[in-house]
Amino acid sequence: MRSAHGKFSRWILFLVLALSMIGSSAVLAAGEVKIGFLGALTGNVATYGIQTLRGMEMAADEINTAGGVLGQKLVIVKEDDRGDKTEIANVTQKFISRDHVSAIIGDPTTGGTKVAAAIAQENKVILLSAGAVGAGVVEIGDFIFRNTVIDSIAAPAVTKYIVEQFKWKRIALVTSINNDYSVGLSRIFEEAVKDNGGGIMVKENVSDGDTDFSAQVTKLKAAKPDGMIFTGYYTEGALLMKELRKQGLNINMVGGDGLLSPVLSELGGKAVEGSMVYAGFSPERPSPATKKFLDAYRAKYHEEADMFVAQGYDAVKIVVAAMKRAKSTEPQGYRKELAETKGFPGVSGNTTFLPNREPLKSPICLLVVRNGKFGLLERIPVSPKK
Amino acid sequence: MINAYYLQVLTIMGINVIMALGLNLITGVTGQLSLGHAAFMSIGAYAAAILTLNYGAPFWLALLFGALVAAFFGVLLGFPTLRLSGDYLAIATMGFGEITRVILLNLDIAGRALGISGIPHSSNFSTVWILAVLSIVTMVFVGNSRLGRAFLAIREDEIAAEAMGVNSTYYKIQAFALGSFFAGLGGGLYAHYITYLNPSDFGFMKSIEILNMVVLGGMGSIPGTILGAGVLTAVPEVLRAVREYRMLFYGGLLVFMMIFKPNGLLGGVHFSTIRNWLIRIFKGSAGSPAGGSRGGTGAGEDAKTRVQEG
Repeated sequence: MRSAHGKFSRWILFLVLALSMIGSSAVLAAGEVKIGFLGALTGNVATYGIQTLRGMEMAADEINTAGGVLGQKLVIVKEDDRGDKTEIANVTQKFISRDHVSAIIGDPTTGGTKVAAAIAQENKVILLSAGAVGAGVVEIGDFIFRNTVIDSIAAPAVTKYIVEQFKWKRIALVTSINNDYSVGLSRIFEEAVKDNGGGIMVKENVSDGDTDFSAQVTKLKAAKPDGMIFTGYYTEGALLMKELRKQGLNINMVGGDGLLSPVLSELGGKAVEGSMVYAGFSPERPSPATKKFLDAYRAKYHEEADMFVAQGYDAVKIVVAAMKRAKSTEPQGYRKELAETKGFPGVSGNTTFLPNREPLKSPICLLVVRNGKFGLLERIPVSPKK
Repeated sequence: MINAYYLQVLTIMGINVIMALGLNLITGVTGQLSLGHAAFMSIGAYAAAILTLNYGAPFWLALLFGALVAAFFGVLLGFPTLRLSGDYLAIATMGFGEITRVILLNLDIAGRALGISGIPHSSNFSTVWILAVLSIVTMVFVGNSRLGRAFLAIREDEIAAEAMGVNSTYYKIQAFALGSFFAGLGGGLYAHYITYLNPSDFGFMKSIEILNMVVLGGMGSIPGTILGAGVLTAVPEVLRAVREYRMLFYGGLLVFMMIFKPNGLLGGVHFSTIRNWLIRIFKGSAGSPAGGSRGGTGAGEDAKTRVQEG
């Protein structure tokens, strides 16, 4: 019995050794700086991830052609997280303890970023999200950054613009109650309207997945608003506008980048003409640097670059610029320099990190639907002081 | 020291083992198909998280509370639905899952659609696996008890069980309560490991994921469920090597398994069976010919335990 037991444990030992050998195949190559891409490449939110990754890879190619980072080659390590919280946690941990990345860029969604940021902060690795727009991200810790147009800065700027330029005084606010993004954005808009001297005349709730908005629109109509702020996504936005027009309410809609999809006008048709959406990026009337980026992207992927591509591209460049200034690729070494990023000229606007690490991006693009397409209405500059 | 990445995958594996064991008791042992296990997980997760965040409760108390709340809802769901069976019960549990998700989406204390973030990171490898081992022991114990026999009897033939004096509704509710308890426990551990909760993470697909673990491992088998949870936690990570084709392989694996091993990896295998295998292997290697182990008490014991544990 004793010898049999010994034999058994030898097998276990062998098995453990074999497994650990499979695991340790990823050896850290000398002379490489790694940046991890965290995002979904498959599943429901894959478009954000794929676009971000393309932007990141383009930036890395340019950086490597120009000699790399402090003499080292920049490598983008990519992993698919399917938008699943457990996988996001796993990928983040893998980047940190197996790939030894210098920075993680992702996840493009707010919820995913919160999961990853908690792990990155604990391990003191820089995490910069190029897509998380919701509240409560950078508060997680001093290693957490983001490079996005955040609603708490963009929505007040847009509100100021519409109250001043369009003379919207009586405003209707519609929230998609089961959508975290929408609930958060509505709170910001509500406050901004108050600060800018407008009035929320009526507040209505809808839900993602609803198709009948007649009851809500009837109530909106009774309040006689000058305009409507809708903070949800494009599908509900389009159907809501259709119902508005059906009931003869001829006002325009303003919303965040949740409305930013070709589906808005595909579904809404004429009803969404004149609807406005703010975004961090517009390929129209580009600066020379942005034009170069757009042309390069078009040459490679035969399509127009969108906000996620631009933000992914800028995210890599911002991190690398900080590494170069600090002459260090260690997160602890360049964290301070990254936090001091001021007016970084990116293709998605100029980025400044505020003392609380929130990005101040200027200008913000207000887009309007014209002939079924998003066109640039105005670039609204944002001043550092709120 | 073991790499933190592997440690994390192993920890999540432990959480999944606990939740899958809960579902195994309901679906595998008692034979009641539940498609709402993620709902109990979310109830446990939210209850535990709210207790630690809003009331500063200690971690272990929050875990216990989460598990008990989940068990309570298991009983609550059990009363009206467990008179149903088969497909009807499956649909009812699925509906319960949806209701739970929608309620969490609209509950202020649960942070509505924003979810709950900043939950303290209290779960770790050792707490998870201590609780996982405790769960396994409990499951073995329940399986060998009067309760477990009643569960099995209901699975095998509900009418015959009733005829023998087993109050099937009463026992089914017990199975649901116990199964939900472990789902809630797993949920509490999950909440304090991932540190962020959102109702969208506990949808129908999550229930299916846990059900997959039970079915792949072998319905009704505790070692099978553990193996199923282990394999389905590890496979998506191992398959990272094939990149974009990862989920294709994952799905392919499930289809392949169901065709060639419809009873699951360890269908019908119990700890006692494994013990008997080991005894046989070592007896065999000690010199006696293959036939030797078939005689004597070995086979008799094997057959006896098989009858006992189904």
